[in-house]
Amino acid sequence: MIVSELQLALPEIFIAAMACVVLIADLFVSDERRGLTHSLALLVLAFAGIITLRLMMPVGETVTAFSETFVRDRFGDILKLFAYLVLIGVFVYAKHFLRMAGLYKGEFYSLSLFALLGVMIMISASSLLTVYLGLELLALSSYALVALNRDSARGAEAAMKYFILGSLASGILLFGMSLIYGATGSLALSEIAGALGQAASGDALLAFGLVFLVVGIAFKLGAVPFHMWLPDVYHGAPVAVTLLIASLPKIGYLALAIRLLADGMGPMHEDWQAMLAVLAALSLVLGNVVAIAQSNIKRMLAYSTISHVGFILLGLLAASPAGYAAATFYTLVYALMSAGAFAMIILLSANGIEAENLDDFKGLNARSPWFALMMLMLMFSLAGIPVFVGFFAKWQVIAAAIDAGFTGLAILAVVTAVIGAFYYLRVVKLMYFDEPENTTPVTAPFDFQTVLSINGLAMLGLGLFSGGLISLCISAFS
Amino acid sequence: MPIIEIIFYLFGGVLTLSALSVITSRNPVYSVLFLVLCFFSAACIWLLLEAEFLAITLVLVYVGAVMVLFLFVVMMLDINLTKLKAGFARYLPVGILVALAMAAQLFILVWSRGLDSQVLVHAADEGSNTRLLGEVLFTEYLYPFEIAGFILLVAIVAAIMLTHRRRPQTKYQDPSQQVRIRREDRVRLVRVESEGEDS
Amino acid sequence: MDIKTILLLIPLLPLIGSAIAGLLRHPIGRSGAHTVTILAVASSFGLSAWVAWQVFMTDWEVLNYTVYKWAVVDGIELEVGFLIDSLTALMMVVVTFVSFMVHVYTIGYMKDDPGYQRFFAYINLFTFAMLMLVMANNFLQLFFGWEAVGLVSYLLIGFWFKKESAVRANLKAFLVNRGGDFGLLLGVAAVLMYMGSLDYAEVFAAAPTVAGQTMTVFGGVEWSVMTFICICLFIGAMGKSAQVPLHVWLPDSMEGPTPISALIHAATMVTAGIFMVARLSPMYELSTTALSFILIIGAITALFMGLIGIVQNDIKRVVAYSTLSQLGYMTVALGASAYSVAIFHLMTHAFFKALLFLAAGSVIIAMHHKQDMREMGGLGRIMPITAVTAWVGSLALIGFPFFSGFFSKDIIIESVKQIDRTGASFAVFAVYAGVVVTALYTFRMLYLTFHGKPRADEEMLSHAHESPWVVTLPLVLLAIPSLLVGYFTVEPLLFGGALSDAIYIDPANDPVAAVGSHFHGPAAFALHGFVTPVFWLAMLGVGLSTWIYLFQPSVAENVKRRFHWLWTVLDRKYGFDEFYQNIVTGGGLKLAGFLSRRGDRMIIDGWIVHGSARLVGAVAARVRGVQTGFLYHYAFAMIIGLVALVFAFVLLKG
Repeated sequence: MIVSELQLALPEIFIAAMACVVLIADLFVSDERRGLTHSLALLVLAFAGIITLRLMMPVGETVTAFSETFVRDRFGDILKLFAYLVLIGVFVYAKHFLRMAGLYKGEFYSLSLFALLGVMIMISASSLLTVYLGLELLALSSYALVALNRDSARGAEAAMKYFILGSLASGILLFGMSLIYGATGSLALSEIAGALGQAASGDALLAFGLVFLVVGIAFKLGAVPFHMWLPDVYHGAPVAVTLLIASLPKIGYLALAIRLLADGMGPMHEDWQAMLAVLAALSLVLGNVVAIAQSNIKRMLAYSTISHVGFILLGLLAASPAGYAAATFYTLVYALMSAGAFAMIILLSANGIEAENLDDFKGLNARSPWFALMMLMLMFSLAGIPVFVGFFAKWQVIAAAIDAGFTGLAILAVVTAVIGAFYYLRVVKLMYFDEPENTTPVTAPFDFQTVLSINGLAMLGLGLFSGGLISLCISAFS
Repeated sequence: MPIIEIIFYLFGGVLTLSALSVITSRNPVYSVLFLVLCFFSAACIWLLLEAEFLAITLVLVYVGAVMVLFLFVVMMLDINLTKLKAGFARYLPVGILVALAMAAQLFILVWSRGLDSQVLVHAADEGSNTRLLGEVLFTEYLYPFEIAGFILLVAIVAAIMLTHRRRPQTKYQDPSQQVRIRREDRVRLVRVESEGEDS
Repeated sequence: MDIKTILLLIPLLPLIGSAIAGLLRHPIGRSGAHTVTILAVASSFGLSAWVAWQVFMTDWEVLNYTVYKWAVVDGIELEVGFLIDSLTALMMVVVTFVSFMVHVYTIGYMKDDPGYQRFFAYINLFTFAMLMLVMANNFLQLFFGWEAVGLVSYLLIGFWFKKESAVRANLKAFLVNRGGDFGLLLGVAAVLMYMGSLDYAEVFAAAPTVAGQTMTVFGGVEWSVMTFICICLFIGAMGKSAQVPLHVWLPDSMEGPTPISALIHAATMVTAGIFMVARLSPMYELSTTALSFILIIGAITALFMGLIGIVQNDIKRVVAYSTLSQLGYMTVALGASAYSVAIFHLMTHAFFKALLFLAAGSVIIAMHHKQDMREMGGLGRIMPITAVTAWVGSLALIGFPFFSGFFSKDIIIESVKQIDRTGASFAVFAVYAGVVVTALYTFRMLYLTFHGKPRADEEMLSHAHESPWVVTLPLVLLAIPSLLVGYFTVEPLLFGGALSDAIYIDPANDPVAAVGSHFHGPAAFALHGFVTPVFWLAMLGVGLSTWIYLFQPSVAENVKRRFHWLWTVLDRKYGFDEFYQNIVTGGGLKLAGFLSRRGDRMIIDGWIVHGSARLVGAVAARVRGVQTGFLYHYAFAMIIGLVALVFAFVLLKG
C-alpha cells in the first residue's frame, strides 16, 4: 500500500479519528460545558468539508484504492459534502432539543459522527464487503441513537423494532450478496459488472441474489412493503434523533442503491428496473394516502418520507445518468427539506416535550410570522409547488422516468403528488387560519434560528436558482 | 470419497434438526443448548471444508463466549413462554405457507443450477489456512478489516451508553473515598460539660 | 464597476429597497422606510441617467445579453436578459425620474396614513417590475414585468382596502386586465409557435419569413400569421394601456392614492402597451391590417374618452379621462407607423401628466381629501405654486406652442396626415376634434379649481394652505421638463435618428421622415405652430371654456338641459360599464351559476373531489390499520414481500 491510497481516503480517516477524539474528549467535559463537544464536532465537520473540497475529484475521474474496496469519484465527493452540511444543521438543531429534554450527552455527537463515517464508507464503497460494513456501521449507530432516551418506553420499543427488523434486512442483503459472490466469484463491484456482462442472461442465481439485494435496499430506504419500521421509529425516537435519521442516512442509502444497482448490477438493469417500479408505485400510493390519516406530525412526515422514497426510486429506475442525477438531486433536496421540517417540531417543543401533534402548529402565524413563513416554504417545497426547489426535484425525476419509458408510473407519481399536497397544505392551513391553542411566544437560540431561516429560505433560493445544483448532480454522472 | 459425504450429511442433518429445535422447544434453556449444537455442527462442516481457523473461531467465540452469556441471560430472566407463544398457533398456517414457498423457491433455484461437486472447492492447498487468512486480512482486506474494528467500537459505545447510568437513588460504594477516610470524618469529639454539683 | 453590474443594479436596488421597507417594518420605522426606498430609487435614477448619457451621447453599441439562464425546456431557453438601446434607455430615465418624484411627494401625501411603509414598499416594487419590463430582451421577461406591474397596480388601487369602492375598483382593474393578458399570452404563444424563440432579436430576424404564412383560426378563416400575432399582442396592450373597449378600469383606478395615479396610471404602467408596440415595431411593420386596427382603436379612444372628461366633476377623474385620451393619441401614432413619435409623446406626457396628477393631489391635500371640483374654486390665491405648476401642465397638455406637449402632439397630428391606410381619415378627424375637447376640459378643470369664486365653506377655506415642500418640490421639478423637454429633444429623438437602433419603420411608408422634411428646428416649428389650425382649434376650446366657466356659469346649465340626452350619454360613459355589468358579467354569472350548480357542485365536488377524498380517507384509515405496532407483523410483511418479489421476478421469468 502506498501513501497516496491513504490520501484518497483522507476524509474517512479524518472523520474516524476525530470521532474517537470527540468520544474521549467528551469524557473530560463536564455537563455544563458540553458546548465544547458541540463546537468540536462542528469544527470537525467544517474541516472535513475543507479536506474533501481540496481533494475534490474532477468530472468523470474515478480512482480506486485498497485492492478495489474503496472508490473515489465526483459523485461520492458531492454526497459527502452534503452529508457534512446536513449533519452540521442536525447538530445545531439537535442541541436545542437535547438541552431542553435533558439528553445533552456527548455520545450523541460521537455516535452521529460514526454514523457519518458509515455513510461515507457506503458512499465510497466499491466492494460488496465495504458496502455492507458501511451499512452496518451506520445502522448500529442509528439503533443506539434511537434509544438515546433510556427513560422513554416508546424510544426503547422503537429501537428494538429498528434493531430486529434492521438485522433481518441486513441478513437478507448479506444473503443476496453471498449469492452474487457465488455466481460471479468476486466482491468488487466493477468485476461483478464485468462478470454479469459476460454471464448468460437469465441465470436464476443472479436474479435471486438481485431480489435479495433490492429488498435490502428497499428496507433501508423505507420503500413499501418494507417500510413498516419507519413510522414507528420516527415516532418513537427523540425528535433530535428522528431529525438525524430522516436526513443523513438517506444520502448514504442513495449511494448504497447506486453503488450496488448501477455500479455492480448495471448489466441486469432490466430486472431491477421492474422491481423498483413496483416498489416505487406502492410507496407513492401508500405513503401519500396514509399520511393523510395521521394526526401526529412525526408519523405524517414518516409517511411522507415513504412517498419521497417512491420519487427517489423513480429516478433510480430510469437507469440512466440523467435518472441517477435526478435521484441524487432529489435526495439532497429531500435531506434538507426533511431536516428543516423536523427542526420546526423542535422549535415548537417547549420544556423537552415534543410538539408532535398537528394541532401544535395551529395559529403559528400569530405566534411567530417569520417561522410560520419558513414552515410554509418547507411544506410547499415538500409538496412540490412550483418555484420551490421540491418542484424541480420532482420534475427532474419524473422527466427521467418518462425518458426511460415509465410513463404510467410518471402519471401515477403526479397524481399521488397531488394527493400528497393535501396534507402539507393542511399544515399551512393550521398555521395561518386557525387560532393558536398555545400563545406563548416561540423562542430558540440564535444559532438555531439562523440555521432554520437559512434552511427555509434555501427552499426558495435553490428553487429560483436550481440550475447550479442540478448541473452539479449531472456532473457527478458524466 | 464416500466417508466424507457420510460425515457431511451426518452433521448437516444434525445442524438442520437442532436449528428446528431452537425455535420449537418449549424451554428456552433447551433452545440455547440446541443453538450451541447448531454452531458445533456448523464448525464440523467447516472443518470438513478444511477451513480450520473459522471452525475453531466459531467454537471458541460463539460456543465459548456468546452462548454462555446467552445462557446466563435466559436463565436469569424469567421468560413467560406461554405469553410469547400466544399468537403462534394463529399464525402458524400462514407461517408454514410462507416458509414452504421460500423453501420451494430455494429448491427450484438449486434444481435449476444442478448439483455439481465443483462448487465445493478445496481452499488452501499451500500452507496453513490460518496464515493465509491473516495475510489476506491485513493486505487485501485491510480497509474492511479496519471498518469492522470501528463497528465493534460503536457496539461498545452503544452498549455502555445504554446500560451505564448513575441513578441518584441507588446507593453504591466508592472505594477511593473509603480508603481516603480520616479520623475526623468518622469521630467527632464533643466536649461535655461536667455537671455541676450545685444543680 | 462595469456596465453590466450597473445595469443589474438599476432594477435590483428598488427591489432590495422594497424588501427592506416591506419586511423590516418595525426595525426601520417610518422614516427608515422612506429613506431606504428613496435612496434606492434615486440611485437607480442616477445610474439610469448615466446609462442614457452613454447611449445617446457616446458611440453606443446596442447591448443585448443574458443575465441569468433560468431553465431550458425543450430547447427553449427561459432566461432573464437585458436589451439596452435608445428606447430602453429613454424609458429607464422616464420611469426612474417620475418614480423618484413620486417617492418624494408621497412623504407629504401619505404623511398620516397607517400604511405608510407598505406604500413605499409597493411603489419601490413597482419601479423594479417596470424596469424589468422595459429592459427585457425576451417575451418571457416582458410577460413577467407585465404581470408584476399589474399585480402592484392591483395592490395599490386597493391600497385603502377597507374602502369598498377601492376593492371594487381593483377587482375591476384585475379582471379587465386579465382579458387583455389573455390576448398577450396568446400572442406570445403564437410567437413561440411560429418563430421558435422568445428572444426579441431572434424573433425579429425570423419575422419576415413568417410574414407570408397564413393560419386557420376557428371556422376555416384564413389569417395572416403576423396579423394574428400583432393583434393578439395589441389586445394585451389595450388592456394595459386602457384603450376602448378595455379602458373601463382606468377611471376607477383613481380610487387609489394620488401618487400612484400619477406614477402607475398616468406616467409609466399604462404606457407599457405603447412601449411594447414600439419595441416590436419590426413585427408590426409587417402587418398593415394590425396597424389599421390600432389606428382606429386609438382614434376612438382619443376623441370619445376626452368627451367624457368634460362632464366629470371629480378632479382626478378629469385627469384620468385626459390620460385615456392622450393614450389614444399615442396609439394613433403607433397605428400611423410613427413609433418614435408615440414614444416621444409618451415621454412628454409622463412628465406633464404626472405633474397634473400631483397638482391635483396637492389640491386634494388642501381640501382634506375632497375631490369634487364643484366645491373648489379660487384656490389659485391660496396655493400659488400648485396653481402655477398646474397651468404649466395644462398648457403642455393642450399643446400650446413651445410647451413640451405641443411638439409631441403636433407631430402626431402631422404624421397621421401623412399616411394612407384604412381608418386614416377617421383618425385625422378624431385627432383634430380631440384638440378642441382637450382644451375644453383642461381649462374647465383649471377654472373650476383655481379661479372664480370659492365655493367651499368658510371653515374649509380657513384651513386650506399651500402644501409642504416635499409636495411642491416634485411639482416644480416636473414642471421644468413639462415646459422644456420637448423643445430640446424633439430634433434628436425624432429626426436625428436617436431611436433608429430600436425602432424599425418601413422606409417606403415613413410618416416621420415626411414630417421631418418640413422641420427646420424647434423654434421655427413652434413659431409656425401659432398659425396652424391645431392652435386655433385649441384656442377655440380655451375660449369656450373661459366664456362658460369663468364668466357665464349659467351657460353650462343651459347646455346641459338643452342637450340632456347627450349629457346622459357622456355621464354614463357610453354605457360601457352597464354593458360589461349586464351582458358580459351578468351572462357570465348566469352561465357560471349553472355550471356551478350542475357541473361543479354536483359532478366535480360531489363525485370527483369529495368522492375521491372520501375514498382516499377510507383507504388511508384501512391501510393505517395494517400498522399494528407488532414486530412480527412487520417482519412477516417483509418476508411476504420478499417471497412475492422472488416469485414475480425469478420464477416467472426464469
